[in-house]
Amino acid sequence: MARSTVMLAAALAIALVLPLALSAFYVVLLTEIAVAALFATAFNLLMGFGGMVSFGHAAYFALGAYAAALLAQKAEWPMLAAFAAAPLVAAFGALVFGFFIVRLSHTYFAMLSLAFAQILYTIIFKWTSLTGGDNGLLNVWPPAFLRSVTAYYYFTLLVIGACFLALHAIVNSPFGYALKAIRENPRRARFIGVNVRRHQLCAFVLSGFFSGVAGAVFAFHNGSVFPDFAFFTKSFEPLIVVLLGGMQSFYGPLAGAFGFKVMEWLISRWAPIYWPLFLGAILIVVILVLPQGFVGLFERRAWRLRAVNGKK
Amino acid sequence: MEMTTSLFPWITNSPLIAVQVMSGLSVGMFLFLLSVGMSLIFGVTRIVNLAHGSFYMVGAYLMAALIEVLPGNPVSFWIALLLAPIGVAVLGGVIEITLLRRVYRRDPMMQLILTFALILIIGTLVLLVWGPDNKSVARPEALAGSVRILGQPFPSYYLLVLGLSPLVAVGLWLVFYRTRWGMLVRAATVDREMLGALGVDVSRLYTQVFAFGSWLAGLGGALAAPTVAVALGMDADVLINAFVVVVIGGLGSFAGTLISALVVGELQSFGILIFPGVSIVLPFALMAVVLMIRPWGLLGEPEE
Amino acid sequence: MAAASGEREEVVLETRDLRKHFGGVRAVNGVDLTIPHGDLRAIIGPNGAGKTTLFNLITGDLRHESGRVSFRGEEISRLSPDEVCRRGIGRTFQITSVFRRLTVIENVQTALLSHHRRHYNLFADAARLYRDSALALLDRVGLKEQAGKPGGILSHGDQRRLELAIALANEPRLLMLDEPTAGMAPNERHALMALVARIAADTGLTVLFTEHDMDVVFAVARRITVMHQGCVLAEGTPQEIRRDPEVHRIYLGYTKAR
Repeated sequence: MARSTVMLAAALAIALVLPLALSAFYVVLLTEIAVAALFATAFNLLMGFGGMVSFGHAAYFALGAYAAALLAQKAEWPMLAAFAAAPLVAAFGALVFGFFIVRLSHTYFAMLSLAFAQILYTIIFKWTSLTGGDNGLLNVWPPAFLRSVTAYYYFTLLVIGACFLALHAIVNSPFGYALKAIRENPRRARFIGVNVRRHQLCAFVLSGFFSGVAGAVFAFHNGSVFPDFAFFTKSFEPLIVVLLGGMQSFYGPLAGAFGFKVMEWLISRWAPIYWPLFLGAILIVVILVLPQGFVGLFERRAWRLRAVNGKK
Repeated sequence: MEMTTSLFPWITNSPLIAVQVMSGLSVGMFLFLLSVGMSLIFGVTRIVNLAHGSFYMVGAYLMAALIEVLPGNPVSFWIALLLAPIGVAVLGGVIEITLLRRVYRRDPMMQLILTFALILIIGTLVLLVWGPDNKSVARPEALAGSVRILGQPFPSYYLLVLGLSPLVAVGLWLVFYRTRWGMLVRAATVDREMLGALGVDVSRLYTQVFAFGSWLAGLGGALAAPTVAVALGMDADVLINAFVVVVIGGLGSFAGTLISALVVGELQSFGILIFPGVSIVLPFALMAVVLMIRPWGLLGEPEE
Repeated sequence: MAAASGEREEVVLETRDLRKHFGGVRAVNGVDLTIPHGDLRAIIGPNGAGKTTLFNLITGDLRHESGRVSFRGEEISRLSPDEVCRRGIGRTFQITSVFRRLTVIENVQTALLSHHRRHYNLFADAARLYRDSALALLDRVGLKEQAGKPGGILSHGDQRRLELAIALANEPRLLMLDEPTAGMAPNERHALMALVARIAADTGLTVLFTEHDMDVVFAVARRITVMHQGCVLAEGTPQEIRRDPEVHRIYLGYTKAR
């Protein structure tokens, strides 16, 4: 545990210092990596720790983004207030959708989550008067003091760092233990007194909340929001990131987001046509060869060593 | 991404109920053709083939490519219509052998993700081979005009679609209930191991089924090519529609897919009249309702 | 069975005319059961007699068609499994059910956290909570040294013990063990059931278990209920059951032939 804290502190220190050394372009990239990392980690709360795979998580990202944009623009709330309220909207959406989704298992869970996300996409797309439809909402900018790339980067680090702390606490909390127990063996979990459905719904709402934070951060970073944010292909991004980085570890999605965004940038720069092809190929490789993702490789070694030595 | 107009250009806005019903039926029959391949594949292999829309797209592009290459006489259209789906079937077979075989025993999530990855790959390949521009396919002369049905002009080509879909439905029934191969396939859905123990090469059977399902998707694409814009993004449109139909009807059930396709067709047809703004949401809403009350679909089988 | 002087003869579990069928099969066909406090009750019967179905009906995993189940005087027929557990029934399953990727101590800690209703706590460091109680429980079942290992890599017998510890974590009044010794070597079986009997005696726990190994049954059980085709065929002390001609004919006849 100590080793990863040191590594984390080092990573954080580096992250704080980087904008001084890099050009604005890279700072923007880092901001987007942070957003993707949070989205994926929120998603992984459900997938890796809860054993529930959602194919419609873009819905909560989009809800966060649109809520932030609408409140800031149409209701003319101050940005920070809009920003604070947005994840609550996403959480509410997760509560409503999740209530139905959680009753199902596995494939049907995934399918219903996909269906709800598409419904949301369609509503956003069609409700032009509110959401601007296909044109999206533009001029969603943060207040002046956050408008520079570097300032917004630090803001992002702050918010996302706080979210990571919270998620880390959750995963290691009694709630997290029960969630993992449900993942391992729902029948057994029931018979230690856990109301499985209610617990899973809570996890779903928490996951939706943090996905909404990611969406809100992205909204002000991007300056605009579009219906695409809820389209089903967007739902696959956290899934890919988690698979890349490893779903069994807490920091896997962070590493995965880094790798994913860097690859996206590199490939889009030289041959953007090939990006989806590359992505698809990587996914296939990961599924066939590396079920635990890349970070998972390291984790599994450590796990085996622990088991052999009987250490805690 | 206007689904209704791009996929179902023949949906009319007529005050005549009969016409709307007919329009809904034609949409429904087309949806059936689009979706039955996905249902079949799931019924046998238990894999939800998310790349189904991509196969449809390849079928449409192949159709366009073949027509460009073949001589300009009227027969060419029918030759292309024959060959394009076969090409897709070959593609499907290759994919099954090289990739899908490795994940049959894995978590269904992994299978879903694999087929999703195929969407990305096939989509890019289509772009690389045929470029970003839309293609168009001309209708054969015999069917280029329109006829009058109940006073409304109805493009003749759509009659082909309307006529072919029930033929396909009947053909499928014959194949699965009157041929030996079909019997083996049905047995495989019930008990794969037993069938293997009886000496049947179940792996090859799965490949054949997957190829057949791909053929059906390709046929849908080839048939649709003269009516829609053959463009990138077709795959997503069709995937979502087929997905909704198959889930409502019950994955793996033909009758379910048929009934569901007709219901969704009518829903879209009347939906446009009654709830013009939200009609697109209706199939999803229906799917959500079905998933909540009866997740295995109208005529599907419960997993437990 | 004579109660020790001063001890109340409390009925811990009672079922009345419990019925459940699947399709055409009457899995449980009118079962009346009365388990008094402190009993060590074995339910025996050939495969398909309905033992596990009976268990599932009692714990709420299955919905019964008719009949009643009451626990310590309270009707529990309509409760879900987690509610039944909270009333004070602990259970182990026929196929070992532990949390495989959690460590042994985490398995028990999770059970304790749930028992103390702290499993909605989002912020505490769960690893530190109830460690001592968990270790005590593990010590009870002889798994203390393996506390740090993932549950899934334990030997089969040890996983059974772990499951026992998990069930005990909820401080149950009634412990239901579904084929607790299945898959274990004979001496392991006796050791496990002896442990169960000891724990039951120490804590005043009532135990209900199903079992196929007759040696274990006769060694441990205070009373035996014999089931056959969904009904109770006979009930009594081990001596009475041994002498019962019906039981011999239908059930013990198998064992003898072996």
